[in-house]
Amino acid sequence: MPPQIFRLVLLTVTIVVTYLIARYLLTPTTFGQHGFYRGDALAEHASHTPVFAGRKSCLECHEEIQQQLFKGEHKTIGCESCHGPASAHVADPDSENKKPDKRNTLTCARCHEANPSRPATQKQINVNTHYSGQKCVECHVPHQPNEVP
Amino acid sequence: MKNSITRRSMLTTLGGAVAGLMALSPARKVKAAVQKVFVSTNAPKDYDPYKHKWLMCFDVDKCIGCGLCVDACKTENHVPQGPTYFRTWIERYIIKKPKPGSGDIRGEVIVDSPNGGRGGFSATTVPREEILKSFFVPKLCNLCEHSPCTQVCPVGATFDAPDGAVLVDPKYCIGCGFCIQACPYGCRFLNPETKTAEKCTLCYHRITRGLKPACVEICPTEARIFGDLKNPVENDPIQAFINKNKVNSLKPHLGTDPRVMYANLDKEVR
Repeated sequence: MPPQIFRLVLLTVTIVVTYLIARYLLTPTTFGQHGFYRGDALAEHASHTPVFAGRKSCLECHEEIQQQLFKGEHKTIGCESCHGPASAHVADPDSENKKPDKRNTLTCARCHEANPSRPATQKQINVNTHYSGQKCVECHVPHQPNEVP
Repeated sequence: MKNSITRRSMLTTLGGAVAGLMALSPARKVKAAVQKVFVSTNAPKDYDPYKHKWLMCFDVDKCIGCGLCVDACKTENHVPQGPTYFRTWIERYIIKKPKPGSGDIRGEVIVDSPNGGRGGFSATTVPREEILKSFFVPKLCNLCEHSPCTQVCPVGATFDAPDGAVLVDPKYCIGCGFCIQACPYGCRFLNPETKTAEKCTLCYHRITRGLKPACVEICPTEARIFGDLKNPVENDPIQAFINKNKVNSLKPHLGTDPRVMYANLDKEVR
């Protein structure tokens, strides 16, 4: 073999081998576990901590509210929709400052303020003219809207 | 001068190098296994992505546009606060009555989404008597079976997980933005802090723990329904939904085959 061809072959082999070694060393071990991506990414996405605890966790302690809630129209609403995220409260139920926010009038208006885009089945009021100055809870029970206090 | 490299020493060195490389492979595997045991992650250990297939359904007629889902998503996933960063959002469609004598079926279509619907929608400026019909459409990642965003990613950072979620590996993402342009549903954005592409993960940290995604958990009217096609439960809401309603997906002509289904979808929704 002529020396110039030999050197070319040697150079090519060196480049290919260097590339293979670099690829081998730099690829994470879980790459290709499920497909053309890093398998560990799945576990990393799963490792975040939930902020909302879920209705089940709430009803473990607040059983009496469940009984009330399931009788009325508001049975489809999750606890945290109105009361805010509660996983800190679930982890430490006794701590006063980790308790979810108390609901306020704005929370009711968010779903019940009249809007032509809302489905007709949704009960809607004009907040400014519907007994303005009074609080919603003076006439309505949020956990059981078909009842009068 | 005598050459110091003999054939024998050369062969020994080469053989040693090859043997060393071969020994490296099991060593790395052992290291990875050891790391898995000792490095504590919060990830649930008993979750097998091959045993699930997630699906999300919407009932457009039930959405009241309260925007609680948008809020919940931002809180749950620590999405940047700006008005262009959303993993889920709500669009308001207002279809006007056609002009008298124009011969059209419907008039102008107005679509808006002020701050993604976060904080709810204020009353529209369009007079009520001009509105033919109006409704809200919640949107998020359409969980395409043939996802364009995965196909364009040059570095393998975006992928279809075996359970149907389309995820981004933030450690691999180079922030080139190809996927953001490729998504026909506009479901992706570039996170201004990490400079990587971000999208709905179906609250992967929640569904792997047996919880519902935050938006589904928070929706007051059950307009969002979430379920597992591989593990139907008793009175499965997702099966009931598909049996009861005539469902459709967004932009079916693109062949992306989304697994996010909509019931009562209007022709104008894109």
